[in-house]
Amino acid sequence: MRANKAIVGVFSYIDDLLTAVHSVKQDNYSYRVYSPTLSHEIEDATSSEKSLARRFTLIGGILGCAAGWTLAIWMSLDWPMRVSAKDIVSLPGFFVVGYEWTILWGALATLLSILFLCRLPRFFSKPLGYDPRFSDDKFGLVIDCDQHSKINSLKELLSEAGAEEVIVVEH
Amino acid sequence: MTAKEFDHKNNGSLTYKRVSDLVLAMLETPTGGWYALFAICLILLGFGAAAWFNQMWQGFGYAGKSHPIGWGSYITNFVFWVGIAHSGTLISAVLYLFRAKFRMPIYRLAEAMTVFAVMTAGLFPVIHLGRPWMSLWLFPVPNERALWPNFRSPLLWDVFAVSTYFTVSATFFFVGLVPDIAVARDRAKSWFRKTLYTITSLGWTGGHTAWKNYGAAYLLFAALATPLVVSVHSVVSWDFAMSIVPGWHATIFPPYFVAGAIFSGVAMVITLIIPLRSVFKLEELITHDHFESMCKLIMLTSGIVSYAYITEFYVAWYSNNPFERYQFWFRPFGEFKSAFWGMFFCNCVAPLTLWWRPLRRHIGYLFVLSIIINIGMWLERFNIIFTSLAREYIPAAWGGYNFSWTEIAITAGAFGWFGMWMMLFIKFFPAVAIAEIKEIMPPPRRNEDENAH
Repeated sequence: MRANKAIVGVFSYIDDLLTAVHSVKQDNYSYRVYSPTLSHEIEDATSSEKSLARRFTLIGGILGCAAGWTLAIWMSLDWPMRVSAKDIVSLPGFFVVGYEWTILWGALATLLSILFLCRLPRFFSKPLGYDPRFSDDKFGLVIDCDQHSKINSLKELLSEAGAEEVIVVEH
Repeated sequence: MTAKEFDHKNNGSLTYKRVSDLVLAMLETPTGGWYALFAICLILLGFGAAAWFNQMWQGFGYAGKSHPIGWGSYITNFVFWVGIAHSGTLISAVLYLFRAKFRMPIYRLAEAMTVFAVMTAGLFPVIHLGRPWMSLWLFPVPNERALWPNFRSPLLWDVFAVSTYFTVSATFFFVGLVPDIAVARDRAKSWFRKTLYTITSLGWTGGHTAWKNYGAAYLLFAALATPLVVSVHSVVSWDFAMSIVPGWHATIFPPYFVAGAIFSGVAMVITLIIPLRSVFKLEELITHDHFESMCKLIMLTSGIVSYAYITEFYVAWYSNNPFERYQFWFRPFGEFKSAFWGMFFCNCVAPLTLWWRPLRRHIGYLFVLSIIINIGMWLERFNIIFTSLAREYIPAAWGGYNFSWTEIAITAGAFGWFGMWMMLFIKFFPAVAIAEIKEIMPPPRRNEDENAH
């Protein structure tokens, strides 16, 4: 269950943002960082695990490879028709089908990984604390916090780190 | 290129905001010029569609195809458009894996070109069918339908390759667009645009876990698209190479087709990006250095293609096969010799001028040259298909070709169809990558010295 209240720090500079992220992490708050682009510095600061996307691709690729070969072999055996004196199961020719479906299924599984791991699509509601400026040129640090006593100290933490604006938002 | 070099090249004037502004300005209300171009595309498309309906209604005799040239201009167009598609994937996926930063401002347009070019290419096998409503029979429908698809046939491989290519490149294209549509969504004012972008951006917000997974998945897409792009034109070339027709039955075809595809595709990117850049004032984002890098790709692939042309002649001579030898005499000196020499000039001679640096940086010259190359690559496919079919083994079965107006109208209509999608795309979606250009820019810092790292 997400918190009902969040504190949003709007940053112009990435080094200020990273300072804030490091101190928030030490205190074990649940937080989200928004940035206009992919940044490896933010990635390094926020998590150490690798993305699970590659598992999706691997499984999709293996399934696709199996499916492609199966399709070609099964359909050929189902109605054995000799063409130009070739084997009924002509593996070199069927390779193309297996190869293309490996890529096709792998790519579709990768698409699924994005939808699943990034929690998309999300048409109707924005996550708490999101600001349109975060897609343009500002960085955002959103900290979930329901405890009144801590709000002020968190606000102070964000502005000390260099946030140019600190807002408290509620559901 | 380090962050500092990038900064230096752009005189430090580019900021995140400036990038968003420049790209989103392209989405503003269209001007008269846009409507004029769009109307031209629709008129061409209308001509093509009318010609096609006439051909369906009256019969296939309206196309110039007849014995012995049964694969006429429609298959030429198919190969041409699949080839155009290829450089889009090269620029978006292969250069991504190589970390070639010059791809950033051009790759979105190149990807759009890929998707629309495959959509155009996909029409031609259907137009080529006498009964286009039976085009579903191309696919491996279950054996209960009594069609018994032949998995040993390169034509069926082609269906797998091209449909996979379309699906994967469309997915890759869309995934790349999502964060940029989110930028457009956050700035959109009209109700229509807001709704359109809210739906198509899937509600992207750019949180840190989303970016992490997105980055990983994007890399995987690129890694999947790279072997795909090599396989697709190889499979297209096998449509020819797996037969025993003189001039087609050659193991050199797959690499030669793939290089040719990239060659024509890069030229098409230049043809499209030059007007786009000048109309939308994108000189800050797409610089002369980008054009120079694309020219180097053209020089490389033109070299490979020229080498392949010459090797074909050598192989024909060395094979000591009279049919093969005759075929390669027929190409430069026979009925279709103007197509051969046109091809040779456009693809081998004209690109040599790029060895002179000032021409690689001369925008007007590049525009003309890119069109010359596209004509040359169309002629290459023409040359392969028509000459080989015109002179197979038995002289009694030799023949020529009469072009019909139907084919010319449909060929022109394909450009209209492609242009229509392109025009719609650049007005409704960001045609230059926003998030990825920001990614290679030095992020704004309070302490500027750290930028060097």
